[in-house]
Amino acid sequence: MIDTQLAALLSSGSFIIIGLYAAVFIDNIIKKIIGLSFIEEGANMFLIALAYRTDGVVPIFLPGMTPEWFASNSAYPLPHALVLTSIVIGASTLAVMLAIAMVLYRKHGSLSASVILGDKHE
Amino acid sequence: MNDLIPLMVIVPIIAAILLNLFIKYNTTIKILSFLVAIVLPIIPILSNYGLHYFGGHAPLMDNGTLLNSLPSYISDGPLSTFHIGITYSFESLQKILIFFLFVVGFLCIFTTIGERKRTPGSYMFLMLMGLAAVTAMLLSDDIFHMYIFFEIAVVAQVGIILASTDNQRYEIAMKYMILGSIGGPILLTGIGFLLGLVGSVNITDIVYVVRNGLVNANSPVFLFSFGLIFFGWLYSVGLPPFHTIKSAVYSKAVPSGSALLQALSVVIFISLGIAIFRIYSSVPFIGVFIIFFSLCGMILSLTMAIMENDFKRMIGFLAVGELGYIGLGFGLGTKLSLTAALFQGLNEMIITATLFIGFGVVLYMTKTSDITKLGGLIEKNPKIAIIVLLGGFAMAGVPPLNGFQSKLMLVQSALSDNFPELAVIMILISIVTFMTFIKAFHSVYLKPKPKNLVIENSDVPRSSVLVMVVLIAICIVLGVVPTLVTDGFSGFVGGLI
Repeated sequence: MIDTQLAALLSSGSFIIIGLYAAVFIDNIIKKIIGLSFIEEGANMFLIALAYRTDGVVPIFLPGMTPEWFASNSAYPLPHALVLTSIVIGASTLAVMLAIAMVLYRKHGSLSASVILGDKHE
Repeated sequence: MNDLIPLMVIVPIIAAILLNLFIKYNTTIKILSFLVAIVLPIIPILSNYGLHYFGGHAPLMDNGTLLNSLPSYISDGPLSTFHIGITYSFESLQKILIFFLFVVGFLCIFTTIGERKRTPGSYMFLMLMGLAAVTAMLLSDDIFHMYIFFEIAVVAQVGIILASTDNQRYEIAMKYMILGSIGGPILLTGIGFLLGLVGSVNITDIVYVVRNGLVNANSPVFLFSFGLIFFGWLYSVGLPPFHTIKSAVYSKAVPSGSALLQALSVVIFISLGIAIFRIYSSVPFIGVFIIFFSLCGMILSLTMAIMENDFKRMIGFLAVGELGYIGLGFGLGTKLSLTAALFQGLNEMIITATLFIGFGVVLYMTKTSDITKLGGLIEKNPKIAIIVLLGGFAMAGVPPLNGFQSKLMLVQSALSDNFPELAVIMILISIVTFMTFIKAFHSVYLKPKPKNLVIENSDVPRSSVLVMVVLIAICIVLGVVPTLVTDGFSGFVGGLI
């Protein structure tokens, strides 16, 4: 049985690699954006995996807990807070990219990155 | 007045939101954006040096009562020094850079108001959000907070590109976003590795842990985090392999937007660069890495600038190439070189703003940026030509302008650090920059006017001329009296090293 944290870390690494492959090698711009989203979520999952503690508890200090027990058993809450912010930022950039992709599709009549983002456009 | 420190971020954000609310009212937008832009540079002048703890969460060491009530493994260990909340640090570096950033921001907003009959509220929103984001990056002592505001700055930069009328603005914006969506998460993953090692994203905490040997600075995980964060830094500042897209970004925005974009890039360069320098100063060969990429950026950008016939692209490449000087200062890592790098960064903001707005006037008059189709414009507007020439001299490092002072300091630091070859390269690159600029200046102003060149707008907006005069005056003042800012930079660097 594979450890949950290790599984999450491996999954996050897979997300990033799949996303990088899509962003670099796939020509369709929407699929590129999906790949970029994979990279973003892979990074977020990596942070969440860092916070995980096997058989740990939610990081809320409840009556009856001692500080020592809480410190050695609770998950680490900081990455959770960071990921929440990161998700919001990721959603915003995703929205901007999709909006630009819509405009580019209307302009070029194609979603092919080689057609709309070719070097001649620089 | 430490309470004023967060206002440098809060005021532009609130103003940006208000501008979005009043988007239909042109006069309100003009008045509000002008007032905010003129107030912003005053805030860093009035603020006192110090730290601002958000939510009042000072480190446990500063709260004796709370510290004594905690278990000994917290009160006696490094955790007692950790910063619990987000901390803003306001020192001489921040004071000088934020003041000049806001001055450039004000001048860009003033130019936009003067050039356009109808001022778009959304464009002003983006300018102010960009200013707020990079100010937060410079103030923040928290590397994750820096990442968040970096992402906000990227979106604002993309918006500024989209606000132009260039045919290819959407393509360039998409390319920039795609690269940003790779660079950003890689930066975040690097921060994640640091968080996993240290347990904090506060830069002072990370430095404390590394310097006290609580984390092995030569461990593969620490070095890997350096690689990831360094990659994110390369993207954010436009060093190779991202120099081409960065210069394309500059060339697609309206001139005042390009001026602001370069100022934002410089501040991002410095804020992330200082964070990397503080955290990874113990990493072997860090200086070599930074020097290598900076030199590549300078040489590649300059090579591309020489071959360009579009003056917007040419200035874009020159601007990216000039950023390499800041990298060289960071790479050398001495007190003099770091002071020179910070001074060069400040000069870059001012000089490139002058050039972008100056050549923007040419674009406004002729509606073309192709230097092969231009010529003879010195007869139409000799005053602008002289200001642009002075701006070019400043960029190339001609005395007594500010670019000369910072580049001289960089050359001196390379020589005193036993890198004479670097000093020679810097001088050679300055000479080539000068030649490239003169090529553009000659084509636009000095060569005979082509018969088919039509001057569509002969009345140059007074606001643009005034802004250029102010910018070149700053160049001259900083060139004649560099100690106005170098003393402050030197004091900051002394504390850093």
